[in-house]
Order: sequence, then C-alpha cells, then structure tokens
Amino acid sequence: MKISKIDYKNVYYPPGGILLWIIIFLELITFGMALIAMVYYGKQEPDVFHESRLMLNVSFGTINTVILLTSGFLMALTVHQIKLGEILKAKKFLIGTMLFGFLFLVVKSIEYYAKIQAEIDLGYNTFFTFYWMLTLFHVIHVVVGLVILISVYFSLNKKENETLVEDSEASAAFWHMCDLIWLLLFPIIYLIF
Amino acid sequence: MVVIISNHLFNILIMERKSIITWIILLILTIVSGIISIQSYTFIPIIILLFASFKFLGVAFDFMELKKANTFWKVILISFLVLFNSVIMILLIN
Repeated sequence: MKISKIDYKNVYYPPGGILLWIIIFLELITFGMALIAMVYYGKQEPDVFHESRLMLNVSFGTINTVILLTSGFLMALTVHQIKLGEILKAKKFLIGTMLFGFLFLVVKSIEYYAKIQAEIDLGYNTFFTFYWMLTLFHVIHVVVGLVILISVYFSLNKKENETLVEDSEASAAFWHMCDLIWLLLFPIIYLIF
Repeated sequence: MVVIISNHLFNILIMERKSIITWIILLILTIVSGIISIQSYTFIPIIILLFASFKFLGVAFDFMELKKANTFWKVILISFLVLFNSVIMILLIN
C-alpha cells in the first residue's frame, strides 16, 4: 500500500480528488435539475402525481435508503482502515459495502418487477416517466460503483500492492455520490407528492 | 471465538464512534421521514426536505470527509443544497 501525505486543505486536493468532485457536482446538478422539473410538472398535475406517488411502496424506498446509508458507512470504515494500513479489516468492510450495494439492487429489482407486472411503465404517466428515468439512471451509477469497488477489492488482494490511498478515496467518493443522489431522489419521488 | 469477535467489535466502536453516531442519526432521520410522510399536513414536505438535507450533509461531511477539505468545497456543496431546496420549496409553496 502506497501511502502519501495529502494536504486536504489545499483547494486542488479534496478527499477523493478534484476530478471526481467535478463529476460529483455535475451529477448533482443534472439530477437536481431533473428533480426540479419533476416538482414543476407535479404542480401542473397534482392529482396525477399524488395518486401515482401512492402507487409506490414507501417501505421499499425507506429500506433502500437504510441499505445505501449502511453501505456508505461501511465504505467510510474501509477507507479509514486502508489509511491505517489494516488491509485485512479493510477488505472485510469492503465486502460488507458491496453486499449492501447488491442488496440495494435486489430490493430495486423486486420493486421494478412489481411495477412491470402491474403494467406501470415509462409511458404510464408523467410521474412514472420521471420515476423510471431517474431511478434507472441512479441504478446504473450503483452498478458502475460496484464494478469500481470489486476492482479495489482485487487490487487490495495483490501481494505487491500498488493501490494508492487516493485511489481508494476516489472509489469511495464515487460510491458516496450514489448515496447523495439517492438522498435527493428518495424524498421527492417517494414522499412529498 | 466470541471473545475475539466481541473485542474486535468493541475496538471498532471506540475507533469509529463519530461515524457510528452519524450513521445512527441518518437511519433515524430516514425512518422518521418515512413515517411522517403518511401525514397530510402542508408543512410535512418541508420537514422531509430538511431531514433529507441533514442526511445529505452527514454523508458529505462525515463519510466523504469533506470536513477536512478546503472551505471552497464546503461552501460550494452547501450552496448547491440551499439553492436546490429553495427552488423545490418555492415550487411546492406556490
């Protein structure tokens, strides 16, 4: 494990790296604008949005939020252990992070399956157009995040470990970005209409 | 075996106390948001958005360690959150 001293107070070195933080802000702005558009259309068709929101299972949304927050918590512990040079402990926490990530996808799949069975698809109404577009786009981010975490796990397994702490932090920042996006999506899609 | 696991968990509890507290608060806010969303009072969406903002900041500042970063990154993230919530709230109230 290569450990270098990072000065986080330097504006060019936020935890995770400046390039990843630029991506995080671009993603937040993109999702943010789409959510603002959703609320705008919700004001045009309040009854449709209210009835459609009631067709969603809030329990699934709440459980998935708990799962993602737990996964993010375990990711934070993983990075901390990597910084301490405790690779075995870090690997255990990383496995936990990935398991909760997969669990999120399982719960989301069950939710999607129920919607497809009820023939509630992308063209059902305006609310569900936003629901499918935003949640599927988020799921793609979670899948990409899991691929990144799997690559970090295998790089930690190598005897001659070339992984930098910065690489682990950047991977963690991407994973936490999935949490941040979900924390914007969950209240607006599942709760407020 | 049980003693080893208990010691291991105890050490983690001591070392990661702050993150554990943040995690528990985030879970409580999530569950409370889910429960109060059933109520039909007009101020409930605003409370839900405020809870979501606290959770957002908890993840960013603690889990992502933004608290260690330069003030620029903290200001820009909080600005995004304030702007986003303001627009949503204005749309909801009007």
